Amino acid sequence: MKQDFRMTYPLWNMAFILILAVMAVGFTSSLVNVTKTDSSLSIETQAVEGFLLFAALIAYLVLITIYLIALQSYNRKNPGKKISPFSMRPPEYMEQDEGMTFITRKAVQKVYTFITWTLPFFALIVMLFPIPRLFIVWGILAVAFGQNLIYYMEMRRHLKEAAE
Amino acid sequence: MLKNRVKELRARYGYTQSELGKQVDVTRQTIAFIEKGEFSPSITLSLKLAKVLQVEVGDLFWLEEE
Repeated sequence: MKQDFRMTYPLWNMAFILILAVMAVGFTSSLVNVTKTDSSLSIETQAVEGFLLFAALIAYLVLITIYLIALQSYNRKNPGKKISPFSMRPPEYMEQDEGMTFITRKAVQKVYTFITWTLPFFALIVMLFPIPRLFIVWGILAVAFGQNLIYYMEMRRHLKEAAE
Repeated sequence: MLKNRVKELRARYGYTQSELGKQVDVTRQTIAFIEKGEFSPSITLSLKLAKVLQVEVGDLFWLEEE
């Protein structure tokens, strides 16, 4: 089960979210100047923000390459349960049988509870306080990170118990 | 609360969780969840387990007052 790509899928999501959080510094900085003409789009940033944006873009490309290689390797080893990178349905759902469907449902319920509380709370904070754009983006990414973390921890707990 | 004798009977017949799982078409993890009482199986799966473990469903699963 440890080798099951669906089990580690939330960890990939979390890694992508962390890179997006760094990328957001470059994109949302007030020091970023975006000029758009009919034929071109130029983005000028300050040194630090520009470096972070560039480094995050490189890191994102590297991670997505590793991810696609790992996914291809998994699909080759598991032709009966291939994962499509373009699937709308989250591939981390484990529904091979009724027991696995049951623990997946429990994990999804925990995530739903988390989202139910955090999103309205976050919206309220954003409405009440003049929060910079970067912090709003980080907040949204933090919710997405938390969602994946909760799902992963819950699934891991159940599967660890089953292994004992 | 639903109690069961899956672990006891599985041991009696010398099946591993994986072997029993294969016979009833579920994963090893699902057998473990059932044995720990974490998951109550469907009627279909209960009947399959009872058949493989050669007992009546009522002798394999029963309700216990909390």
